[in-house]
Amino acid sequence: MHKVNTKKILTGALTLALAFSAAACTQNGGTSDADVIYGGEAVVGITQEPMIFDPHTVVAAGDKEIIFNVYEGLFKYDSTGTLNPCLATDVVISDDASEYTFTIREGVTFHDGSELDTGDVVYSLQRASELLPELSSIDSITDNGDNTVTVTLSTPNSEMLPNFTAAIIPEGSGDTIGDTRIGTGPFVFDSYEPGIGIVLTRNENYWNPELPYLDKVTFKVCADMDAGLLELQGGAIDIFPYLTTDRAAQLDTNTFDILSLGSNMVQALFLNNAVAPFDDVRVRKALNYAVDRNEVIALTMDGASEPLTTAMSPVMGEAYDTSLDGTYDQDIDRALELLAEAGYEDGFDMTITVPSNYLVHVNTAVAIADQLSAIGVNASIEQVDWATWLDRVYTQRDYEATVICLTSDYAPYDVISRYASDNDGNLINYSNPAVDEIIENLPLTIDENERISMYRELLGYMTEDAASVYVQDPSNICAVNRRLTGYAIYPMYIQDMSTVRLASAN
Amino acid sequence: MGSAVRTALIKLCEFLLTALLVSFFTFAAFAIIPGDTARVMLGPEASEEQVEALREELGLNEPLAERYFDWLGNAFRGDFGNSLSFGNPVGDLIASRLPVTLGMSLIALIFVVAVSFPMAAVCSRNPGSIKDKSLSTAGHILFAIPPFALSMMLILFFSKVLHIFTAGRYTAPSDNFGAYLVSLLLPSLCIALPKVAMTFKFLRASMIEFSQGDFVRTAKSHGLSDLRIMLKHIIPNSAVSSVTVISLVLSDIMGGSLIVEQVFNLPGLGRLLLSAISRRDFPLLSGIVFYLAMMTVLLYFLADVISAMIDPRIRDGRAA
Repeated sequence: MHKVNTKKILTGALTLALAFSAAACTQNGGTSDADVIYGGEAVVGITQEPMIFDPHTVVAAGDKEIIFNVYEGLFKYDSTGTLNPCLATDVVISDDASEYTFTIREGVTFHDGSELDTGDVVYSLQRASELLPELSSIDSITDNGDNTVTVTLSTPNSEMLPNFTAAIIPEGSGDTIGDTRIGTGPFVFDSYEPGIGIVLTRNENYWNPELPYLDKVTFKVCADMDAGLLELQGGAIDIFPYLTTDRAAQLDTNTFDILSLGSNMVQALFLNNAVAPFDDVRVRKALNYAVDRNEVIALTMDGASEPLTTAMSPVMGEAYDTSLDGTYDQDIDRALELLAEAGYEDGFDMTITVPSNYLVHVNTAVAIADQLSAIGVNASIEQVDWATWLDRVYTQRDYEATVICLTSDYAPYDVISRYASDNDGNLINYSNPAVDEIIENLPLTIDENERISMYRELLGYMTEDAASVYVQDPSNICAVNRRLTGYAIYPMYIQDMSTVRLASAN
Repeated sequence: MGSAVRTALIKLCEFLLTALLVSFFTFAAFAIIPGDTARVMLGPEASEEQVEALREELGLNEPLAERYFDWLGNAFRGDFGNSLSFGNPVGDLIASRLPVTLGMSLIALIFVVAVSFPMAAVCSRNPGSIKDKSLSTAGHILFAIPPFALSMMLILFFSKVLHIFTAGRYTAPSDNFGAYLVSLLLPSLCIALPKVAMTFKFLRASMIEFSQGDFVRTAKSHGLSDLRIMLKHIIPNSAVSSVTVISLVLSDIMGGSLIVEQVFNLPGLGRLLLSAISRRDFPLLSGIVFYLAMMTVLLYFLADVISAMIDPRIRDGRAA
């Protein structure tokens, strides 16, 4: 056994620390000032209403980003995408990555006043392993008696650490946790009114005595982005994440800070690889060559995006292979050639099914459809509501093409594992035995460099297969009223309120 | 009196039949359109097993017809069940939204009555005069603007130009009743204005008709003042048709408030209705639809009763 410096454990995210150092500065800047203000409140606008508060049942990004403030796991992400020890102070990973031994932090109390002990950790991990697929490989959990807990996996997994962000809840509270919502986080769940909002209050006994600053945080449900924008301008809400660039441009920069950060999102024109003509790699390549990504980005995100070539965003650091950049730069002649080879010299008709509640995706579909007409592909756009999209496109895969943004944990494995041919999330029916093998072997591989080369090899296959037309990695854009400071924008779906504080006393 | 009881019974049967049909169509629509509550709640990130577990927990694996008849049986006993996605009882959820929707409807109604009657009275005195023509034209313009468009214009004007109003800032009546009324004022106005035009148009026509009636000529020949004729003769005579038009306007107002509260971002019944649809939350949607149907039927029923009380001909069954 060797002791692992947690910062060095490969989550893929750590390599990003540099890229996001600017954001880290905003987060930490000023916390050492003598005149930091405690107290006050903030209202955050949300357009997706949370529904589930059991931390081991919740999966939707819109729910997770709020309860991040209430529940904590053994490890926790920060705004650079780095995993830091949280309720554990330390982890020792066995050389074969099959045993993880955590030292539990002392002096932590739950919101109900009870003290965190190893029993709570064993109970929570046990419960989480039954409910969360990503923890299902846990074979046994042992309380070693010296304030450490050892988790043994049924198959070694060097990519396991991000999954230990799963919430630790009081022992035995599983049946009621969805209502009591007791965690150890910087904020205590106060109230929830369906359709209206969620109120959190300061955890007076938070284990980090410096945090949080605010007494009260309200997550207020807004009907849509425009309604939220009006409330932001009127002062009814203070923080509004996930703005589009054109909406952000309407805001007065004397009143609002506009923060923007590259995310780990992947927006694409996803092609159903099981349906003709998209079962032909030449057709998929032709579509890739026909699209001018920078024009789409200019039209839909005002340029505030990273163009994508393949299934992973370059912001994911070393796991991404930069030599792939530009593989599918627009080349209409090449696209026409490929179409002719595939027997579609006269083009074909296709339907892009888009969820109508996501304006950016609808606009992207329109822009792409326009570009595809240059190679004789006549794409019509079908808008469906979100529930229909989830059922028909995502679950039943009864579609030809769709535009959507995939989100994931800030870990490369979470980004690519969905492309295993038998994965539930493989909405494009992608199937390549070589890729399947890499996805299977990645968690079993301990050596960091070896894993990096495996990711690159995998992305090479996916690029060569032109699995879909990957378009852009849109930035997170968030507006914060200048009466507040310290808001840290995350590269994933997290609204961390612990560092937010008043800029000045009144 | 016997006939009144009979009428009430018929109305009740009509209502129950309407409610049954409405619930059936809601259910049938849900059976046809794609979408799964559990998947909507968990989002695309969830695995098939997680979705399946939630489906089981919510009882979505029972056959559709069985779920419908269970729901219907409970609803018949007054129990509308729990919302699938929120978990709260449907009745509580609806009740929590009523202050917004009912408050807006009531303010809008008061506004419609308070403005359209005097306008109609003024215009009907001298049909074709400048006053009449300008008010009528204004009415036509208002009539043509849909409430949601008006809402956006007023929000822009009051919040971005005048800076005296914040869309979405809502205060519950229990917290501060004055602030509650203020937060509903502008949206109510947006619902009311097009309805003012409609009511005004109708009242003006009916008042003109009555002011040319024999009884008005007689009253004039007796030397009664115009104001007295208006108050004592023309308005009471047009009251019966006013009640009918107001009951129509009121159901329009309720419908309008569902849309306007969306634009103003107010937590009313309309928002709840939309989230019930987008989440495929059948118990919640049925509960809301049932409630709206009940309100509509009740309004028409009240209008009939009031008309009967005012008009002796209807009361005695001499006219249809």
